[in-house]
Amino acid sequence: MREEHKKAIHEKYQRVLQKGERFWPDSIYKDLIISFAIFLVLVLLATFVGVPGEPKADPSDSSYVPKPEWYFLFLFKFLAMYGQLPAIGKVEWIAAILIPVVVLVGLFLLPLLDRNLKRHYSRRTLALTVMVVFVVSMIVLTLLASTPLLADDTGRMTLPTQMQMWAGLFVPAAAYVVLAGLGLLVKKLGERAGQAQAWTAGVASLAMIALTAAVLVMVPPVEVEEVLVAGTIPEQITAGQDLYFIHCVECHGDDGTVTVIAGVEGLEGTVVSPINSQDVMYTFTDDTLANIINYGQQDLGMQPFGVAYGGELGPSEIGYIVTFMRYSWDDRMEIPEGAVSTIPVPAEGEVPSYEIHIQPLVQRYCVSCHRAGKENNNFLMTSYQEILTTGDNVDLNIVAGDMEAYLILVINGQQILDPAMGDLLVDQMPPTRLMPPEYIDSLTRWIMAGMPEMAVEAQALSPAPAAAP
Amino acid sequence: MWKKLFDWLDERLGLNDLYKATLDRPEPKGNWWNTLGSASLFLFLLQGATGIFLMVYYTPSPDHAYDSIQYIMNEVAFGWLIRGIHHWGATLMVLVVFIHMLRVFITASYKYPRELTWIIGVGLLLLTLGMGFTGYLLPWNQRAFWATTVGTEIAGAVPFIGEFITSALRGGSDLSALTLSRFFSAHIWMLPALLSGLIGAHIYLIMRHGESAFPDKDD
Repeated sequence: MREEHKKAIHEKYQRVLQKGERFWPDSIYKDLIISFAIFLVLVLLATFVGVPGEPKADPSDSSYVPKPEWYFLFLFKFLAMYGQLPAIGKVEWIAAILIPVVVLVGLFLLPLLDRNLKRHYSRRTLALTVMVVFVVSMIVLTLLASTPLLADDTGRMTLPTQMQMWAGLFVPAAAYVVLAGLGLLVKKLGERAGQAQAWTAGVASLAMIALTAAVLVMVPPVEVEEVLVAGTIPEQITAGQDLYFIHCVECHGDDGTVTVIAGVEGLEGTVVSPINSQDVMYTFTDDTLANIINYGQQDLGMQPFGVAYGGELGPSEIGYIVTFMRYSWDDRMEIPEGAVSTIPVPAEGEVPSYEIHIQPLVQRYCVSCHRAGKENNNFLMTSYQEILTTGDNVDLNIVAGDMEAYLILVINGQQILDPAMGDLLVDQMPPTRLMPPEYIDSLTRWIMAGMPEMAVEAQALSPAPAAAP
Repeated sequence: MWKKLFDWLDERLGLNDLYKATLDRPEPKGNWWNTLGSASLFLFLLQGATGIFLMVYYTPSPDHAYDSIQYIMNEVAFGWLIRGIHHWGATLMVLVVFIHMLRVFITASYKYPRELTWIIGVGLLLLTLGMGFTGYLLPWNQRAFWATTVGTEIAGAVPFIGEFITSALRGGSDLSALTLSRFFSAHIWMLPALLSGLIGAHIYLIMRHGESAFPDKDD
């Protein structure tokens, strides 16, 4: 840059300052307003949106789909798309290292690379149009980040995948080439080159946005599965209690007192120590309890429950069970208020509903065995639909208003025999110890009333108190 | 009385000169887009303040990191607010710093005599992303763990020395307690120290050359 240019720039700036203002007090108030607005926005976000819960890290759970922070999503998606390219897609370092490094070095050295002395927008069309295409492609890649790239049966990309590739890779790449080419022709074309660049960037951006919108309509982004995350101690105890009654109750009983296992295939008659005893609670730390659940005690017959050893429980879930055990059975701990989840029992004359009364009861006493992967005559009980529609004996199992329905018989301690062979078809339920009478009554009344799902339906079935005989 | 105190202090501290150099500067006519830099600075200070509060309770070890954050969120008075501001402040800071860069690019403010201001600014953008990347691991939850696994894996694609970089970042072949303590010290000391130094240089350069004017037809 020649000295006269520098001088001209300084003189121009001095003239602008003459017409300008003082930092204090003329313009600083804008900075303060913006900073205060940002602070308010942050307080509102922290209060009303909060920080989404996540389970504890589990290094053994490699099935977890990694998701980076949102501002790295565009890079993540770019790498995924690049990997789909034939031939160069296999050379990972080009996209992972070379291209980002070139972009970054270009960004760092921009003032040295951009030799253009002009500052007004109309004379910087190349720089501005390249940036527009770049920023639009970043936004497009971010928006597409949770839409999967798929191939059909013949190994070709599906149509939405091809559209994604065009939106995220090919259109911007083509636009850069055209923009650079037009930049070389500036001397020949004069002002028309700038106009052509503006059109190129505009059309390319619109095409990218339109393709992205179409893809997002055709393939709605995959919804992320909600994972149970309990925060406070009462929440953890409740979550642990639910998990205990699914995974542990079969062998250890609902209060941990069992000393000889009964009714569990393969473990019949095994002697276990009562896990609610003072000895266990005083000598086993939380870590020890977690390790036992995680790894099992395989020589004593206890299977591993941790995902790392082939079980179903992650570190967070094991932690909840330990918290539940500690607060329920350790006499040095005081159970915090609101932590004990009780199963609601319908009032006299009230019709129980699945939503309010039956779901927690089933969760506590039945789901342990009546879920996929257990021996249960294919009778699954994890949802309202399943309870009514599954099971080998589905026709006789739950019959509205029928006192002879299998379910009512077995929870009252009767055994069902196969009508043809006379073999035992269904044992009493739960197999080792019947439920407390108020729950048996609750379940019976629910079936007699026709199994209403929601509380409002149950309310409609309930006789008005005055009309009751 | 106040006058006397001020004069005494001014004689020793040079308050009037300081006022002239920092606050009483001439500037081109103001524009709301010029507030993005100070907004970034504000967010940096806010992240620093909330970060210091979080550090009181946070434990950088795989056994306790997750639980210490649960404790901050549920037991510490207003812990949820401090953590929420820190969490969302990170997101907003990346956004504001990036838009600040776009604004400088569009108005061509990086040209003579402000080239160095731009170069340092790009460094600040990168360090902000580095803060985001290192801070993301600290809660030691599933998201953090696996995103960092993938993120450090990408460094492994560098020809010849990729494996070395990955193991240097992780402190071993896999993510472990070492990775967490490395990311923690980077997040609370190394990167913030670099950031504050570069922010100082950035602001010095802005004061030296003045805030740039938006270009007009003659520029």
